[in-house]
Amino acid sequence: MSGSLLALMERHPGDSPALKYRQTATAPLVTVSYRQLQQLALAKRRQAANLQQQAVNIRYRDIADFICSLLAYDGFCSALYLLPDHNVAPAGMLFIASETMTDQRLPVDSRWYLATSGTTGTPKWIGHSLQQLTKTVSTRASGNTLCWGLVYQPFRFAGLQVVLQSLISGACLIDASDGDIEQRFDTLVEGNVTALSATPSLWRQFLFSGKATALQLQQLTLGGEIADQPLLNRLSQLYPTAQLRHIYASTEAGVAFAVNDGKAGFPRDYLEQGYYDLQFKVDAKHHLWLKNSALFGPELATRVDAAGFLDTEDLVELTPERVLFLGRASGVINVGGNKVHPEQVEQVVLQVPGVAACRVYGKSSSILGQLVMAELVAEPDTVPEELIGRVKAHCQQQLQRHQIPFKIQVVAALPLAGSGKQVRIV
Amino acid sequence: MTKTDLHHQIRNCLQQVAELANCQLIEPVTDDTVLLQSGLDSLGFAMLVAQLEEELGFDPFSEMEIAVYPRTFAEFVSIYQQYQLKYAGG
Repeated sequence: MSGSLLALMERHPGDSPALKYRQTATAPLVTVSYRQLQQLALAKRRQAANLQQQAVNIRYRDIADFICSLLAYDGFCSALYLLPDHNVAPAGMLFIASETMTDQRLPVDSRWYLATSGTTGTPKWIGHSLQQLTKTVSTRASGNTLCWGLVYQPFRFAGLQVVLQSLISGACLIDASDGDIEQRFDTLVEGNVTALSATPSLWRQFLFSGKATALQLQQLTLGGEIADQPLLNRLSQLYPTAQLRHIYASTEAGVAFAVNDGKAGFPRDYLEQGYYDLQFKVDAKHHLWLKNSALFGPELATRVDAAGFLDTEDLVELTPERVLFLGRASGVINVGGNKVHPEQVEQVVLQVPGVAACRVYGKSSSILGQLVMAELVAEPDTVPEELIGRVKAHCQQQLQRHQIPFKIQVVAALPLAGSGKQVRIV
Repeated sequence: MTKTDLHHQIRNCLQQVAELANCQLIEPVTDDTVLLQSGLDSLGFAMLVAQLEEELGFDPFSEMEIAVYPRTFAEFVSIYQQYQLKYAGG
């Protein structure tokens, strides 16, 4: 993929529908054509002439405005920062002029920055080129007849992938990224979505809703969590002629690879043969390492070895045929696509008087991937039941719902690793 | 455990988990209630399945080769009943 995003749009028939979205939660779906998108983007660019060659931040208002901003600023500004929240801009990120360029020629090779949540909950910015972001975009001839359902937040990595896939292939994007779960499923059905990318947890909810059968899907993508075999089997049974793929991708490593054979994990052959320009290896601690033809950015330097492989920090299990994902080496818990850092929850639990020590870990869930669990050691003369009650109440005040431990147990002692650090179970 | 006991146990568990998960259940939850409209969200639902696993010793959703997705409360209970029969029958 080369050229700016706006230039890539020029290949599509102007009258083709590019986007269907609701301006308010209860409004009907509005259609925007490719020509309209281009005109709106050019108008935005003209209004922002002073931003040429500058770094710009893009704050999400609605999907139409967001896409126009991407089209306007890619190839025009030196860097695009996609703010991770509707309202909150991280301190110091409102305007970043450090990447100002002296060369005035267009198009600029813009760098796209997406936020990833660090262990402290403070977003880290990871840069990508448009080329890296669009590596798995399929441009097959029939791609422009698809209607892509957008169920992810578009300023996050997974959502941006769907937006770019739809725009670049000339398909129509149906925005179902906002509203409650019923409304979002109704929008997918009303928009006649034929291609959908979602987390395994969201696919399960869609199946539970009974509405999944109303769609004639041709392309299904699973990502953001480990895709399990029963779910893959159910989806291929429900949509027997569709292309079913699960994607391994992370904001940090950029797009990695897709698996199309309907089986969990990925073929063990990849370890020897690679996948396009990607090379794989698994170390003695069962970490998966990847090497890309593009270099990993300096922000990842500490995790790249001398041969240029990146430690993905994903734990894998080798079977004769497959490489299966087990979870994160860091112990990060994935609750339906929401990452929970055990350290953060432990700190909150430890604030409760009477708690001497605490360990937070994930328990596997057939519905949401994982749930948060906690074990704690009580100080002497503490009544365990009362302590659990106080911990629960404190967690409800301090943490988001998916971070609150589902079960809290009082134990005599916590296991420690040889290093003296707490044992992290994944 | 009889079919009625199991039905009763799942219903009790649903009430407890709803409280724990801070979900407001609709009144009344009947056999025909659609799970996604019961007031329990996906987190609450995951907690219900995990709690039942603790109480009953099995999770039918993790045992399936092809996952089955019940739409209503009655369909949900029936999946547990089928698995319990399978377990009791050895």
